[in-house]
Amino acid sequence: MMHSDIKSRPVYQPLVPDLAGGRHLLVVEGETLAAGRLEELAGVFAPVQARLHTWLAGAAAPLGGLGKLWQLESAADVVDALACASRGYGVGDRLYVQGTEPFLWSVATAAAVIGFGEKQVQLYHAGSLRRRVWCTHCHGMTEGVTTSIVACGGCGRHLLVRDHFSRRLGAFMGVMVDAEAPGEIPAIEEVFA
Amino acid sequence: MTGETLKLKVAALADIAPGLRHVRLVAADGGKLPPAAAGAHVQLALAGAARTYRNAYSLVSRPGARDAWEIIVRRVPTSRGGSAYIHECLQVGEVLEAGWPGNLFAPVRTARRQLMIAGGIGITPFLSYLAEFAFSGVEHALHVCCRESEQQVFDPWLAGRPGVSWYWDADGHRLDIPALLAAQPAGTHLYLCGPAAMNEEVLAAAAAAGWPDTHVHCEHFGSALSGGEAFRAFLARSGVEVEVGEDESLLDAIERAGVNAPCLCRGGACGVCATPLLEGEAEHRDHFLSAEERAAGLLIMPCVSRARAGRLVLDL
Amino acid sequence: MTIAFKPEETFRGDYTYRNSDAAVLRFPFPFPEDRYMYSVNIEPHVRSGPSDVFMRPFDVDEHYIAECRDKAITLERDPGRCQVLPHMMLAQWDTLELLMESLSADYPALFSLVKEGDDFGSRWTWTNRPLGLEQSFIFGDPATLPCEPFEYITRQAQGDFAICDQRDNNLYMDAGMVTSQADWSLEFDVGMSFMEWHGPVPLAHQTGVFERALKYLLMLRLGQPVRRLNWTMTINPRLDTSPENFPEWGTDRASVTPDNAGQKVHLRVELQTLWRLPRSNAILFPIRCYLASLDDLARVPKWGARLHRVLSSLPRELVEYKGLTRYLPAALEWLAQHDDGAELPVGTESGVTTLAPR
Repeated sequence: MMHSDIKSRPVYQPLVPDLAGGRHLLVVEGETLAAGRLEELAGVFAPVQARLHTWLAGAAAPLGGLGKLWQLESAADVVDALACASRGYGVGDRLYVQGTEPFLWSVATAAAVIGFGEKQVQLYHAGSLRRRVWCTHCHGMTEGVTTSIVACGGCGRHLLVRDHFSRRLGAFMGVMVDAEAPGEIPAIEEVFA
Repeated sequence: MTGETLKLKVAALADIAPGLRHVRLVAADGGKLPPAAAGAHVQLALAGAARTYRNAYSLVSRPGARDAWEIIVRRVPTSRGGSAYIHECLQVGEVLEAGWPGNLFAPVRTARRQLMIAGGIGITPFLSYLAEFAFSGVEHALHVCCRESEQQVFDPWLAGRPGVSWYWDADGHRLDIPALLAAQPAGTHLYLCGPAAMNEEVLAAAAAAGWPDTHVHCEHFGSALSGGEAFRAFLARSGVEVEVGEDESLLDAIERAGVNAPCLCRGGACGVCATPLLEGEAEHRDHFLSAEERAAGLLIMPCVSRARAGRLVLDL
Repeated sequence: MTIAFKPEETFRGDYTYRNSDAAVLRFPFPFPEDRYMYSVNIEPHVRSGPSDVFMRPFDVDEHYIAECRDKAITLERDPGRCQVLPHMMLAQWDTLELLMESLSADYPALFSLVKEGDDFGSRWTWTNRPLGLEQSFIFGDPATLPCEPFEYITRQAQGDFAICDQRDNNLYMDAGMVTSQADWSLEFDVGMSFMEWHGPVPLAHQTGVFERALKYLLMLRLGQPVRRLNWTMTINPRLDTSPENFPEWGTDRASVTPDNAGQKVHLRVELQTLWRLPRSNAILFPIRCYLASLDDLARVPKWGARLHRVLSSLPRELVEYKGLTRYLPAALEWLAQHDDGAELPVGTESGVTTLAPR
């Protein structure tokens, strides 16, 4: 389900350092690191290593080769650290993020707040396809959704998980599936493993 | 607030420096002008000896002004003739036809900081920028490169505005463009208006410093949809030959000849006026035909498209 | 011109909304041909056209007071229906200026605007007689209004409004007042680019319609607004068919039968206009909603028959997208009795000047 006809669904590309950039910040969500992935990233980013900072969220510090390394606990810490660096980045700098979809958009949104433009940011989706689902009715978020229909964690309604995606919320739209005929709930399938 | 053309009356003319003429324009009917914003330009029809020139000028009046618009025109000896007309022929009280204001150089309002670089007369769009930024309070800076003697020319529009720096061609007074661009925080947008050589130098420096092109804006005049070289078109079914003037569209000319052509948007979007092209090569300016359709050369949208060279034959 | 307002009619609960004969005759019927055709169908928004609703840039009709009240109810229940991103303040004033100037010029008996000057910093006084409002404020100073300027003026206008900021050769939906939408969520869509917010629309993306529409809109000129009609269907005369409240109105779709379709099923036509705004260079996108029951429409013989034919030819994807699946068969069965199969003239005009008695 990574590809969809719905155009709001982002398309992600592998990370490639933009040599025109000044400083380079790589942010990686630890849980999305397959074996050997850090070594692979070190290789890819070798050309800009002297100007590279890497933030690892929730993973143990590994080998060198990723520039200056900083360990953080979670996406929330990354967001806080970016907010604190409000004046720390320039127009020529670049941001690269690897993670699950909610992680990618939490970081991208925080970066936009401190002035990063879309063309300064690359996002690479890795790890699970679990979705953050936004309830259209109570506006609550349900995390880690793997099924085509999910009970909203906020209001309990059964939501059909659509492909329509909001970058601002980092979430997919969930709309009550049995609003027209209460209780008529189609078969629930495991689709976002 | 709708319309296509305006009648403007010249209310005042003043030579503010050698080769620089300030023109104040008001609505010819004594009414109000539409508001125009920072970066807006107005296209004036200037009746030269040989033909009518349509030149676009940045508005330097305060943003939103509805009593009068102001422009500053530099005399360009080698130009199309519009600036010569303004400097030599234009009289107070004269009425000019103008288009409604356009804006191809509006500031980006999501910017956290606005950085402007002007070369000479290229300062004109930034006079209205400064007024807007002073009102909105956004952080901004204007760097002007000009002759040392020209610094005071724009005082009436700049007086008291902070954030303006001056540079000229002497040791210790030149703008260090790479240093300036390297020092800008994320979220800065750069606006550029000056001679081609300066524009190119700044654009190259910005690219070298890693600026994304979305954050660099260079002023250019004129709408892609307006006029071009005159050409002829033969309407095969009607047996009529039309002359398409440089200031009119093919559709205008067809209508002038009394031939009925279906149309809707007149802006190259809706596809209603798509007409079979029997002979000739079109310069396609529409947003409707696909790349394949353009390559096939079998259709033309007469509301915006023209002849690339020579004569067109249409199935009309 | 006098408008006989119907201040007590409702768009929820007991649904007392009704169209007068004059309102039916001026309804902007959207189908010129018997077959459904998707097109961009953009044309200049000039003061002429097949319906009287095109005669003024911002149409005010007999439902004005009731619609403004319904909007206030929706906003009270969910203030998030009005959203404005912080960089849109100039566009907010643009919208206020355009609406106040247009309404006071076109409906001088209803609205007046007295200005001490045109620039920011000038004192303006606005009078809205149908709603009994008078407000003196400083143009350009939001603190002198009871709420921000965009919310202030669009609470006093029929229909929804979105403002698109133009940057990076794209349009972003960075402000909106959305209380009578055809099932899209402003809270979800605010800040989206043109392609993103059109993401869920079926079929049209593949044909490049949105690429062309975007390119065209980026060139939209000041003083030359354009318009198009869009449509869907709604059960009961309900303005607030938001996805937020889908649980409230979703079951209505299951209540339609061939017997009650005439009263229950409404054609919902959106007169969408697009305006380049002068001060902000943004694009204002008003979406004015007109509702007419099948009963109303069938009183115009051409419209009843044409609607039957158009709905019969609708592609399955659009039936799904517009949410018609559950009740379309009942609506078609009801409409069939008004279609004798005779040839109909091309065009959307009603072709009649009076209606048969109900």
